[in-house]
Amino acid sequence: MEKIILLVPLIPLLSALLTQLLSPRMGRQVARISVFASLLTFLFAVAALWLVLAVPGSHGLHLFGTSALLLLDPLSSLMATVIAGISLIVHIYSVRYMAEETGYARFFILLDLMTTALLVMVAAGDLLTLLVAWHLIGVLLYFLLGQNTRDKSAWRYAFWTKITYRIGDMPLVIAAVLLYQAYDTWSLPVIFEQLMAAPEAHKVLGLRLPDVVAALIAFSAYARSAQFFVHTWLPYTMSGPTPVSALMHAGIVNAGGFVINRFAPVFMQSSDVLHWVFIVGLFTAVVGSMLMLTQNDIKKSLGYSTMGQMGFMIMECGIGAFSLAIYHLIAHGLFKGTMFLGAGGVINSARKSDYVPKEDLYTFIVERRPARQRLPWLTMAAVTLAVPVFILVSTHWLISQDYFQKQSAVVLLFFGWITGAQLIFSSYQMGTRNIRRMVILAIVSFAVVVLGYTLISHAFDLFLYPDPVFREQLYAAADIDIIWFDALIVLVTLIIIFGWFITFLADRDGGRKKRYASNLWLMFYALTSREFYLPHLYTLMTRRLLKIAERLNVWMRWI
Amino acid sequence: MTEILTLFLLGLFLPLFPLSMIFNWLLGRTGEPLLRALLLLLWPQAGLLLISQLDFPVPDWFLLLALASSGLYAFRALALRDVGEWSGFLATSSWAFLWIPVHAGTAFMNVQLYALGFSVPLVMLAFLGAGLERRFGAACTGLYGGLAESIPRFSTILVLVVLAIIATPLFPAFSIMLVTITQAMSVMPAVAAGIAVVWLLWSWAGALLLQGLVTGTPDDSRPADLHTGAILGYALILVLLLVAGIAGMGVLL
Repeated sequence: MEKIILLVPLIPLLSALLTQLLSPRMGRQVARISVFASLLTFLFAVAALWLVLAVPGSHGLHLFGTSALLLLDPLSSLMATVIAGISLIVHIYSVRYMAEETGYARFFILLDLMTTALLVMVAAGDLLTLLVAWHLIGVLLYFLLGQNTRDKSAWRYAFWTKITYRIGDMPLVIAAVLLYQAYDTWSLPVIFEQLMAAPEAHKVLGLRLPDVVAALIAFSAYARSAQFFVHTWLPYTMSGPTPVSALMHAGIVNAGGFVINRFAPVFMQSSDVLHWVFIVGLFTAVVGSMLMLTQNDIKKSLGYSTMGQMGFMIMECGIGAFSLAIYHLIAHGLFKGTMFLGAGGVINSARKSDYVPKEDLYTFIVERRPARQRLPWLTMAAVTLAVPVFILVSTHWLISQDYFQKQSAVVLLFFGWITGAQLIFSSYQMGTRNIRRMVILAIVSFAVVVLGYTLISHAFDLFLYPDPVFREQLYAAADIDIIWFDALIVLVTLIIIFGWFITFLADRDGGRKKRYASNLWLMFYALTSREFYLPHLYTLMTRRLLKIAERLNVWMRWI
Repeated sequence: MTEILTLFLLGLFLPLFPLSMIFNWLLGRTGEPLLRALLLLLWPQAGLLLISQLDFPVPDWFLLLALASSGLYAFRALALRDVGEWSGFLATSSWAFLWIPVHAGTAFMNVQLYALGFSVPLVMLAFLGAGLERRFGAACTGLYGGLAESIPRFSTILVLVVLAIIATPLFPAFSIMLVTITQAMSVMPAVAAGIAVVWLLWSWAGALLLQGLVTGTPDDSRPADLHTGAILGYALILVLLLVAGIAGMGVLL
């Protein structure tokens, strides 16, 4: 049974070898091998998931009589299915999309190798295998993004990606070595077992080992998932081929959420690290969403959208909702992959019609369409309050009586609420010709968002972390002091109320802003549209470093 | 007196700054690729032979000096354009790390294999550099570029060799770096962190070297690509390196 988890990454690896060997003879037909192998990989991944569902628990397969271990467990099988599925779609899409590009066979070889590396990463049951796959993903992505060897700009930003990934590799290497030194094994299940049995047994420079290791892994996850300060590579990697962007945004960038899940026992035993994870995720989510809204380049905007989503994912880990982060990364992967793969079609349609809506007066008089209306703000504000209360009561009844006694569950509900409130705001600002339809859509979407956060999180919890005690401890590790918690909840509520208050004022004044408010807004807009000057700062720092290196070489006569 | 002389010679052959400058000067003066290859292959082995004669433990501060030397050359490699100089600097940077397994008391044979794991890809780069000089008159980044299109087989080998040098997984240098970091962690955790930073600098330097040669638009000259025999030779060595790297991982596990 366990052998299937070896077969899943082995198929794309064999496909890469075959593609390399047969490409001189088969020419562009060689892509068929790759696509067929992707289909097989997906089928085996689905079979692996089915096996885990049929025989619950974690199963391991040792490779070549060593302690190299591949895990067949809920997390690896679920992630393998998602990766194999996205890879299959990307393969099929690339057959025609890349047809006129040079290095056609090379592209499919790299795509297959990337699929292998991703599948090995999610199944890795020992630190060394994980490190190898983690590192290789960065290297392969570098070459995939630089597929067009003539495009200097693509290579420049591929380099940004590579160097950020390498920066993120370092803490993971150190964390792995620390764990190995403490437990004298690379095997993750053995390490986790010993760590759970005696979490206080080891110290590093006077600090608790779980704290240090969790912090290092969190930093690795930040770099991989484009959290603020190590995010600049993501919006700039759009020069790579579209299928690579799709694969990257759907299956690579979310590795941060995966690795935090894989090391869940370490995070569970850490003290404050999850709180920091929450803060970093929250900040990234807010900043990423702001940057997305202020970019005039659609691709960059999509990049920042992913950054914001990754912030959400990391934030979910920070409140102990590890399984929800997995759901989030899957949902985001599918929707963002669809957006990228559909981008070509959208561009094609835009060439025929820009879809810019005509001005209201024009559509009313010339096209004889009814004028757009806005929903009454008071109704929408009431909806934002009423729906969560209804869902709170129904979920309370559906799941368990004490579900909302837990901090994390309340925080989750607030996530849903904030996201839903944002959705209602957007609906309110849109204006519509069919006001009833808009209200129904807004309420349904809001309900889906809030229910999604609560019910789906519970379902994923049961699948990924079937042990209720483990789940309890995971959530408990993210709990904060009750006074702080209540203060935060009040703050979030106030922010939402403040948002509606501003909307009311804007409505009353007919959208006019006071001069100082306009100036402040303009300054803020300028700052965000220039991405807080971070890419410029990093470029400047890089140039300075290269200059210093050159100066040193001159002083030392190049020897 | 003998001790100081031994340490001096060790600092020369397992290069520590400023004695490392002698090796790089010598490598720069050696034009013949075969001689360069021999130098890259035998220099650290000579140092290791001397170490086997050492009858006193390596002092702790040598690890700091080794890290500083390695870091200095890795950092300086960022601004290099000449392939020959680049291989010399990367050799210096990687060999300096051999002091760590030596300090940890690793079996002599293993340290010799580590040195070989660092040296073999550098030797391959020396030959590839000579190939570039033959084709373009100089082995320098930023002068011609576009090798991926003009000589694709050559550039594939070049990419793989550079990846082997900068300790990419599955090549032996990757396992050696992991062992080195593990051993350094038990003596001085700060040194272990420093090694990781040097590893990052190697990746940076490697990417700059590749981007200066492989990418871009090729010029009108039509240089000859590697012939089948040469490709098979390089591929065989690369496969052996991969096998050795995987075996190294197996030993670690």
